[in-house]
Order: sequence, then C-alpha cells, then structure tokens
Amino acid sequence: MKPLTRSRRSLISAQGLVGFLILWEVSLRAGLLPGSLVPLPSSIPGVLWAELIDGIWFEVVLSSLSHYSVGVALGSLLGISVGVAAALVPRFDALHAWLARLLRPIPPLAWIPFAIIWFGVNPSAAAFIISIGVFWINYFASYSAVRAVDPGYNEVAIAFGQGHFLARLTKVSLPAAAPGILGGLRAGLGQGWMTVVAAELFGIPGIGQRMMEASGLLATDIVVVYMLTIAGLYALFDFIFMAIQRRILRWQP
Amino acid sequence: MATVSVAAPAVLHARDISLGFGDDTILAGVDLEVRPQEFVAVVGASGVGKSTLLRALTGLLPPQRGEVEIPRGEATDTRAWSMVFQAPRLFPWRRVRANVELGLEGLALSRAERRRRALEPLALVGLEEFAERWPSTLSGGQQQRVGIARALAVKPKVLFMDEPFSALDAITRRHLQGELADLRQRTEAAIVFVTHDIEEAVLLADRVMVLGGKRGDTPAGVIDVVEVDLPLTARREHAEFANRVQAIEHLIGPGPAAAAT
Repeated sequence: MKPLTRSRRSLISAQGLVGFLILWEVSLRAGLLPGSLVPLPSSIPGVLWAELIDGIWFEVVLSSLSHYSVGVALGSLLGISVGVAAALVPRFDALHAWLARLLRPIPPLAWIPFAIIWFGVNPSAAAFIISIGVFWINYFASYSAVRAVDPGYNEVAIAFGQGHFLARLTKVSLPAAAPGILGGLRAGLGQGWMTVVAAELFGIPGIGQRMMEASGLLATDIVVVYMLTIAGLYALFDFIFMAIQRRILRWQP
Repeated sequence: MATVSVAAPAVLHARDISLGFGDDTILAGVDLEVRPQEFVAVVGASGVGKSTLLRALTGLLPPQRGEVEIPRGEATDTRAWSMVFQAPRLFPWRRVRANVELGLEGLALSRAERRRRALEPLALVGLEEFAERWPSTLSGGQQQRVGIARALAVKPKVLFMDEPFSALDAITRRHLQGELADLRQRTEAAIVFVTHDIEEAVLLADRVMVLGGKRGDTPAGVIDVVEVDLPLTARREHAEFANRVQAIEHLIGPGPAAAAT
C-alpha cells in the first residue's frame, strides 16, 4: 500500500477525531445514549469557559501542577541517581537488588495509607505518591541504559586519562546513556499524570478532587473538561520535553 | 627510515611479559624496548595475542607476569602514552574537536590552549575544517583519522596503534598507510603498531616483532625481530620490500589452522 504523506496523514487523523465527535453528538441527540450519563460534546466548550471565568480551572490545575512537578522532579532525580549508581557500583547493586525486587511490584496507590499517615491529607502526600511511580520508571530506564553502554568507551576514557569514577560518570556513562535516561524521564512524565488524579481522589485539592466532586453531582460535562485538560497538559509537557530531548540528543544521526 | 637515536633512553621497557586469560597463558617471555621516534610493528597469526600484548603494555589489561615501564617525564601538559583503537571509538555525543580534546582534559592547559592543541593534530590529518562536525557525519576513514588526531593531541612518548586500518576498505587503508608513513616523520612519538598485515608492517616499521610458536599448551612467544632497514620513501617499490615480507611470512608459517591439517 502507498505510504501516506505527513499532511495527508494529519488530515485523515483530524477527520477521524471530528467523525468520532459527530457520532457521539448525534447518538445523544437521537437518544441512543443516555444524556444523564454522557455529556454532549458541543456543551464542553461552554462548560470549560464557565470553569475558566469562575477561576476554578486555574485553581485546580495550578494545585495539581504543584504536586505533579514536585513528585515528578523528586521521583526522576532519585530514580536516575539510584539507577545509575546501581549500574556502576556492583556492591551497591547487590546490596539493594532484593529490596528493589520486593518493593517494585507494589503499585504507587498502595502507598496512599502511608502517605496519609506520614504527611496527612495535603499536597506533600500526593507528591509522595506521584514520586513513587516516577521513581521506578526512571530507575529501570537509567539502570538498563548505563549497563548497555559500550565498554569500549570506558577503555577509551581510561586510555586518555579519564579513568577515575567521576570522569567516567560525566564523560562516558551519562552522555552515552542519555537516550535511555531521557526515554525514562519522558515515560515518567506520563506516569506522573496518571498518578496525579488518583492521588487527589482522597481529598487533596486538584484536578482529581474536582472531577470527584463533579461526578458526585452527575456533572459529566465538567468531568470531561478535566479529562481533556489532563490530555492537553500531557501533550504540552510532552511537546516541550521532546523539543528539549531533540536538543540534547542532536548528535544522534 | 626515521632517525632513531640508539643512545637515547628507551621510552618503553617491557620485560618478560606473560599474558592470558585466567590460568591460560597465551603469550610468554616477551621483552621489548622502544626508543624515541622508533616505529615497531607487532605481527603474528590470528589469535596469537597481538592486541592483548598491546593492552598489557598500556596497562589496560594487567599482564600475568612481567613489568612494563613507560617513563612519564616531567611535562604536565602531555601524556606518556595514548592509543588508536581498531574501531575509531569516537564519542558520538562530542563534536570532532571535543573528541580530540578528551586526553587534554585534566592536563595543565587553559581552555584556549586545549583548543589549539586539538586543532593542530586535526590539521595534521587534514580534518581541521571538520572540527565542529558530529562524528556520525564523517566516513569511516575520516573517523579513524580523528582517532589518530586524538591520540597525537596529548603529545605521547609512545603511541599504541591496534590494527587501526583493519576495518577500512582497501583504498582508504592504503591512503591512510601513506598518511601514517608521512605523519611518523612529523611526530616525536614512538609507535607500537599491531597488525595482521605483514606488508603494512614492513611498509611502515623500523622493526617488526614476529609473534608465534604456539604448540598445544606451550604459549606463543617472540619468534624473531626483523630490522626492516629500508628507506621510507617509496618503500613499497624497493627491490628488498618483497623479500622482507616473505621472510616474515616464512617465520609465521601457515598458521595454526593450516598446521593442524
């Protein structure tokens, strides 16, 4: 089959999205879907506008963004640090290997009880929950990326007087593993958004809490506004991250 | 032939080197002394331990026995030795100039001096204009020339070269052999050059160390050291060139695979 050009592909994708929205709207208006359970797509812009005018949208988005940022930053920093250290220092790798195997399968949300006990129902608890999921993604991505670095590069570093640990870390391990580490960071940004809503469901102000309030009142249009808000924010963050990643990895052919 | 001062102190002493993997010794009893600006080629059958010997001489792979000494000297802006690898092994995340600067980092040099010291050998291998390019945009031959520039930038007393042209096509290899023959007269470094190509060894070297003689559990050793003693200019066309090559081929013999049949 003939491959599509980029513009043609975008056009077809847009047609698919618009077609879905029309089908959704028509199904509701024709009574095929219950209006009490699913909002009209055409009502969403008006609801979004109302949320913006009331200032609620900014309030909940800023609140979510604050613990999202802290959680993602903390989880990424720790995940990369521990992952890189484990890949480079065999004794440290062995020391924590079983602990990592024990803790890894525990989902971030299972830490909610401890988050509440340790931090109370406040943004720190949400940031803690977010950081756990992000930590593991970055940990494994960094560990694998550093382990996969061609040992020949280390030999070059030694041959040219850069054999000590810090020189090898900064001049070989980190730049050589950068594509894998950045892949982990990007996946962590996505994982953070998945966790942020769940972490707010237990009463911490933010998008998740606003969605829970709305669903209690069967205001499904508000729920959809915030679902789309998350999708939009994720797309924006991903776009910015990709631009930074392209800049950092500009040496790749 | 480059002028080699016999009286000058050696830049590399290796005594009674044995090397191998685990309890298995593959090469034993190697002695080597290299004088300033001397070019020593090491040849031998495949698997005899040529590259392993080179690693032992640099300390990248500690020998099982023996001593290697490469006097450091007083200079704080040079390194005692450097190496050109079989594959260029440039860091793809560094531009060409930054790759050449690698060995200069940590030496007593300002940023500007480091930059100048990197551009000098790049000019020597004809790649000055490629200084700000990424390695991935260069051909295999150009990458290997950057590898040579990187090794020359630290002004080593001994330059180790581990089959540097073996991964290149025949035309590029021949071209770089010519460049190296020319380059060796313009550098102060002594060169220890491992190759499986006997013609290449005779073409470039002052002396050729021939390794071989492995029989069963008996490790290989130095069979002979052949003085090439031919002028560097148009050496390939010299009447004695083929004789030197044949003499070394005869020393190495048909190789372990053929010998076993």
